[in-house]
Amino acid sequence: MTRRFDMDRRAYLKTVGAVGATAGVAGCLGDVLGGGDDTIIPGTAPGFAPFEFTNDDGELVGFDIDLAEETIDRAGYEVGDWTEIEFESLIPELTEENIDLAAAGMTITEERQETIAFSEPYYESDQAVLVASDGDLDPGSVEDLEGAVVGAQTGTTGEGEVETLVEDGIVAEDDTRQYQNYPMAVQDLENGNVDAIIIDIPVAQNFESGRDVEVAFEIETGEVFGFGMRQDDDRIGDINDALAEIRDDGTYEDLIETWFE
Amino acid sequence: MDAAVLQASDWQFVASNWEFLLKGTIVTILLTIASLSLGFLSGFPAGAVEVYGSGWLREAVSTVGVVLRGTPIVVLIVLFYYGLPLPRLGSVPVLDIRLDRFIAATVALGLRSGAYQAQVFRGAIQSIDEGQMEAARSVGMTKLGAIRHVIFPQAIRRSIPGFQNEFTIVLKDTSIAFAIGLAELLYQADQLYLRPGRDTAVMEVIITISAIYFVLTFVTNRSLDRLHDHYAIPGGND
Repeated sequence: MTRRFDMDRRAYLKTVGAVGATAGVAGCLGDVLGGGDDTIIPGTAPGFAPFEFTNDDGELVGFDIDLAEETIDRAGYEVGDWTEIEFESLIPELTEENIDLAAAGMTITEERQETIAFSEPYYESDQAVLVASDGDLDPGSVEDLEGAVVGAQTGTTGEGEVETLVEDGIVAEDDTRQYQNYPMAVQDLENGNVDAIIIDIPVAQNFESGRDVEVAFEIETGEVFGFGMRQDDDRIGDINDALAEIRDDGTYEDLIETWFE
Repeated sequence: MDAAVLQASDWQFVASNWEFLLKGTIVTILLTIASLSLGFLSGFPAGAVEVYGSGWLREAVSTVGVVLRGTPIVVLIVLFYYGLPLPRLGSVPVLDIRLDRFIAATVALGLRSGAYQAQVFRGAIQSIDEGQMEAARSVGMTKLGAIRHVIFPQAIRRSIPGFQNEFTIVLKDTSIAFAIGLAELLYQADQLYLRPGRDTAVMEVIITISAIYFVLTFVTNRSLDRLHDHYAIPGGND
């Protein structure tokens, strides 16, 4: 039995053609049957206390979780099962209709608005620069970060700030670190593998109270969080009305006290 | 990582969450079994087609195999997860896994495994001496009968070592379903040390799941060794 197993030009072209066809077909099959219109399936990326995290009983809890459930409920919809996935995957999950609402401390940015819609802002958050308590670096401003190794979670506004530092020539491209999640980043900070982490203030304060890290200074970005939804989802109006109502009747304040005090 | 980090309290934390890791372990085992079954069901016929088939069928099977073997598993899993027209199937109770993610991971791992298993079986079939077929035909068997009763029983025995290898590869690669958020063992571990104030337990959790993976592969390998010995042809050379 003799057979040639080398790939001649024709076989190669066929294979490449097949790959192209597969990808094309996969692209066309993106229409997922949505759930009922009366249910809103929320999604989040835990590991971002106090906004969303898993507590010691293994339950998903946090400010975003409570607020999103309250909002969906008041808007007159059923709250579906929470979907958990890495932060970066939340936007594809939305557009693929696997979830209907992303509640994950997501900053409203122009770039994100190109693919998804946001509710009215529900939280204002600036960025904090986190350093190890016993570290040699104690920066008081962005300029003091010159030559330091700086990190953030991928896909976050913190990462955007790190990129700004690179563009401004303060930090070298090789001296940036990206993490899948912030607990890993803080671990690296404690171990001395990175000099500073850029992260949302409330989350930074949360780490400050539990780990050997401290907030060195804050970067005012004026950024706000919103719930992410699909651009063609007309339920966003009801969500915004519910958010306004929650703010007006004091429920919002109660939630802030519960999770941030 | 200094030794001081490996604190007793972190080990206690891991121990008190054994149910959490058990869930992940069960999902990992289920995903391995489902993927290997799909791999066998697609790979065994594919291997036979590559040896005995002809024309467009063999071309198609071998092209699909080349594509699957030439694509990283992470890419396959993400491609199937976002590419398959899976409806919202909801979650499986107790295990907390989303069914659509489980299916996407099974299809990706299963088809890729099928592509590799096809080569294992093809190699095993081709390793059976030509004389076996001639002898079978000369005693009046049809070609199909000869393949069914003479070639395959010998080929299957010879494919056990290769299959065993594939088994452990699939078992370990189930961890890549982490990429689409399927709550298998690695994902559950990740969830454990992401709890607030628990990020000191990263090493302990990772060491624990490494041990679990090792036990699973070790038990699997020993079982398949036994199977191989049990079905070995007495006096045979394999």
